[in-house]
Amino acid sequence: MKLDQQPSQVKTILLLAVVYLLLAYLIDDKYYQLILTIVPIWAMMGIAWNVFSGYSGLVSFGHAAFFGIGAYTVALAMIHWHLSPWLGIPLGTLAGVIAAALVGYPTFRLRGVYFSLAMLAYPLTLLYVFEWLGYQEVTIPMKRENGPLYMQFQGQYAYIVVGILFLAIAIYVASRIHGSRFGLSLTAIKQNEAAAEAAGIDSAWWKLKAIMVSGAIAAAAGGYYAVVLIVVTPPSVFGLLASAQAMIMALFGGVATLWGPVLGALILIPLSEILHAEMGNQVHGIHGVVFGLAIIAMILYAPEGIFPRIRDAFKKRKGAVATGETHRVIQVPPVDETQARPAVSQDIALKVSNLSRSFGGLKAVSDVSFDVYRGEVLGIIGPNGAGKTTLFNLLNGFIGANEGSVQFMGKELVGLKPNQVCREGVGRTFQVVRPFPRLSVLQNVVVGAFVSQPDNDERAVAQAREALARVGMLGHENVVAGSLNSLELRLMELARVLAGRPKLLLMDETLAGLGADEVETMLAVIRRLANEGQTIVIIEHTMQAMVRLADRFVVLDHGSVLAVGKPLEVTKDPSVIEAYLGKKWMNHAKH
Amino acid sequence: MISLVLIESILQAVVAGLLIGSVYGLMCVGLGLIFGLMRVINFAQGEFLMLGMYVTFFFCTSLGLSTAFGPILGSLVSGVVMFGLGLAMHKTLLVKSTGIQVVGTEGEGHYPQLILTLGISLVLANGALILFGNISRTVRTPFSATAWELAIGNDFMIFFNKARTLALLVSVLVAIAVYLFVHRTRLGKSLRAAADNASAATYMGIDVERAHRISFGLGAAVTAVAGGLIASYYPFQPYIGLDFVVIMYAGVVLGGLGSVIGAFWGGLTIGLIQQVSTLFLPLQLQNAMIFLIFLLIILFRPQGLFGKNVERV
Amino acid sequence: MLSIEHLSASYGGLKALSDVSVRVGEGQFVAIVGPNGAGKTTLFKSISGTVTPQSGRITWLGQELTSIPPARRPHLGIAHVPEGRQVFKELTVYENLEMGAQTEKGQADWDKNLDQMYSLFPILSSRKNQLAGTLSGGEQQMVAIARGMMSSPKLIMFDEPTMGLAPKITDMIFERIEEIHSNTNVTILLVEQRVAEALSSCDHGYVLQTGRIVLEGAPSVLMEDPHVKEIYLGM
Repeated sequence: MKLDQQPSQVKTILLLAVVYLLLAYLIDDKYYQLILTIVPIWAMMGIAWNVFSGYSGLVSFGHAAFFGIGAYTVALAMIHWHLSPWLGIPLGTLAGVIAAALVGYPTFRLRGVYFSLAMLAYPLTLLYVFEWLGYQEVTIPMKRENGPLYMQFQGQYAYIVVGILFLAIAIYVASRIHGSRFGLSLTAIKQNEAAAEAAGIDSAWWKLKAIMVSGAIAAAAGGYYAVVLIVVTPPSVFGLLASAQAMIMALFGGVATLWGPVLGALILIPLSEILHAEMGNQVHGIHGVVFGLAIIAMILYAPEGIFPRIRDAFKKRKGAVATGETHRVIQVPPVDETQARPAVSQDIALKVSNLSRSFGGLKAVSDVSFDVYRGEVLGIIGPNGAGKTTLFNLLNGFIGANEGSVQFMGKELVGLKPNQVCREGVGRTFQVVRPFPRLSVLQNVVVGAFVSQPDNDERAVAQAREALARVGMLGHENVVAGSLNSLELRLMELARVLAGRPKLLLMDETLAGLGADEVETMLAVIRRLANEGQTIVIIEHTMQAMVRLADRFVVLDHGSVLAVGKPLEVTKDPSVIEAYLGKKWMNHAKH
Repeated sequence: MISLVLIESILQAVVAGLLIGSVYGLMCVGLGLIFGLMRVINFAQGEFLMLGMYVTFFFCTSLGLSTAFGPILGSLVSGVVMFGLGLAMHKTLLVKSTGIQVVGTEGEGHYPQLILTLGISLVLANGALILFGNISRTVRTPFSATAWELAIGNDFMIFFNKARTLALLVSVLVAIAVYLFVHRTRLGKSLRAAADNASAATYMGIDVERAHRISFGLGAAVTAVAGGLIASYYPFQPYIGLDFVVIMYAGVVLGGLGSVIGAFWGGLTIGLIQQVSTLFLPLQLQNAMIFLIFLLIILFRPQGLFGKNVERV
Repeated sequence: MLSIEHLSASYGGLKALSDVSVRVGEGQFVAIVGPNGAGKTTLFKSISGTVTPQSGRITWLGQELTSIPPARRPHLGIAHVPEGRQVFKELTVYENLEMGAQTEKGQADWDKNLDQMYSLFPILSSRKNQLAGTLSGGEQQMVAIARGMMSSPKLIMFDEPTMGLAPKITDMIFERIEEIHSNTNVTILLVEQRVAEALSSCDHGYVLQTGRIVLEGAPSVLMEDPHVKEIYLGM
């Protein structure tokens, strides 16, 4: 099921393919036909790069590794086993998948710069290894009989057709990712990996899947490249330029879009090839200068790529889509006063015992113990630096506890990864909300439903809608997230967590920075959730609001529990007053 | 007898490694300044090296210098030229790509700069190809093909290529100068402070953007000097930058991100490894060896020998 | 000396300050207290220039600050001791102090300031060649304070200097700040969460709550005011 509510891309793909092939048919010149054959290959490479790096945000400089593996597989299979490329390319694709898994597994432990650098090294290592192995120049043998059986055709046109065929398949695969659970999960990881993990997304697993698909497409592109160019040399397939070109297609055309890489290839390849042909003999290197300038111009003026720019301009002319011309109202379903809130049960939902965590010599959380009853709203308060966020991070699994245990519904949470904790039924909101700005509210929220609906996309969407209704944002479902104000963003974030139907809700400073009215709305939402029986643990600083909301407080200071109890008791507790206002206050007050 | 020959080969390889490694070290210091002080993967670093070579070449040929010191002077001149070019590049291009948040949150500031330097690299390398053609050039001096001989006892004779030895001396001197600048001068310390904590540096009144611009210019200059030194004994053409880019990154990562002097040791080590591996590895695998080591370091000890900042899960 | 008039500012997309007015006179020790989320750090950042206010004015020595870039402001005599210490971890203690003395006056008064800081914080002298990142929280705070003083400022601003520090160290830090107040002419602006310590040392206090100044006056008056407790504890 398509989560991005866009019509199936299959028709578009077929249409564009037919148009391209028609145009190609009209062109007679062999050189231009060769260009038209090369375009789909690099479009595929751009798509391959995009599927992984574009969505996940992990910039790979090493896609040439897969490209080269695909190329050499096809070439060597032909030479040594007389295996036709019709079989050789799938074989190469498989090799690409395996290589991607082998590359991804260790390299994913790295972040940012280090990841990119590591990816840089893989194809270059392979380059030298292949040269050493004696494969400096591998030529695919000509098959005079049964040429087509070996993907060898008389006219150039046939090559264009086959190339478009492969490209069409690649675009189709990419379309199944874009806007689907796969794509959304990757986007979530790119925007905020911590939040994605906390929402139950197993980021390691998704990244691995993405790189395997990416490697497959790149290898297929490489395999066909070998077929078209007939000669394979290590620098041409493993070289830095090949990796760079893959990236450039996607970047120029539009990162994380479906058609961006195709557009990029359509523009850049013919441009540079023609310039090379026209001027190449007098002006060696014009190819590279054009690419370079294109990249520089793109980064400075259209950092997201050409395709999004065009799409935006197009949208603007069509008139504003539902981005909130009318005053958007958050409609929190009112609390039904006649229906009493279910009494807080005696069952303990969460039991925290002797939880401790140190950083260096500093005890951030020290021997903390408290219980959370099912259905209650528990407030965790304390001065800044008291360890509240560290406590949440411990509960969530982002950091490991040195000592102690956290029992949730009988299950031990300490030691579990964040996405596993989420699977157990613990949801958490984050202070800094990083939405997917170009996607709709519904798309942003549905990511949270994946954890409880691993297979059924339709039900995931339904749960997402339900969550939006609970926070009063159902009317916003199609609004572009980038245009939301801070309250709406917070509510959307809350909806995302609720979409996973958590049994325990951890709310991290949800009220911080909101104006008085906004706080009222947020409180209404939270109160309504409590009325539905949701168990909530909330960190907050805005005491005025908290005392009206929480059933009980746990007061932390310097990592330890100072007091636990009803708001009235706790705020009268001298040690609590001292923690907030200072020792001298108590002394002063005494006089 | 065989073992003596082997020992001599090893010694010769070590010497060759030190000679070439010192220049690698210097080029790594250049990258280290940029990478370490600005956290930018600069793809154009190889092109700074290449431009250093060409400036040196044209300096020497246009002035008709054929002494051994020609390239030395030329490389220093190229350093000055590249400093200016680096400043200009930063001011016009890099700053625009990220606003003033060069050292922003992880992933955010880096991405556009990365791509931008890739674009610059392509323009510079291919631009050079257009301007200078792809004829291979060197700066030939009387030192290029002659060597000093060092006899050790009666058994060993080690050769020190004169041009490379001179290059080593200059490399070490320049590296020391850079070290002193970064660690002993107020300006140098403010560059380190800006890299350490940009917002605190602003609170101290340090213009962080200017600090980064100077770091960039300096990094370009130092690598260019290394390029000029290499030009005296190694043939080059416009794409030569590609050959050295990974060596530079391997050296910087080996030495440890953030440590300028570590970068020198890293480069030196790479040179040693490369030359020693000629004893038992075929040519192509020597380079593969470097990448393999690079990968191993990144995967198992990303902080290298001297560095502290690691971005790891 | 420093005059903040009707300042409104947003931070991180949220409206953090509304119509805030604060006056700091020469040689005074002014404290701004308030619970977390009150907007204290945004106020600090507005003065230092890292946050651009939406409306209102900040005037320093008669000069309006809005158009002056953040890196220039220390050179006008405003020193910052930011939240979380923010020492230069890879530089030594001594080098951190050197970085503090980037201003003209700071360089001219280097020897005098250094002596003063060494006697105020002896640990700076004994650990001067140690990397600042290896010091404890309290020690780093001392480095941060000294670093601010090394610029020979007319005004020094402290943003929650005791955050994350143990109670004993907190007391010590406050003592030192009081010493600075009594031994020098430097004007002090302190932004703090811990009310009593801040109020008991200062000359004049403001209470900030959800972006607005709700109380203002002499510390003794504020300490008696039951509203303060209500602001912090909600009842």
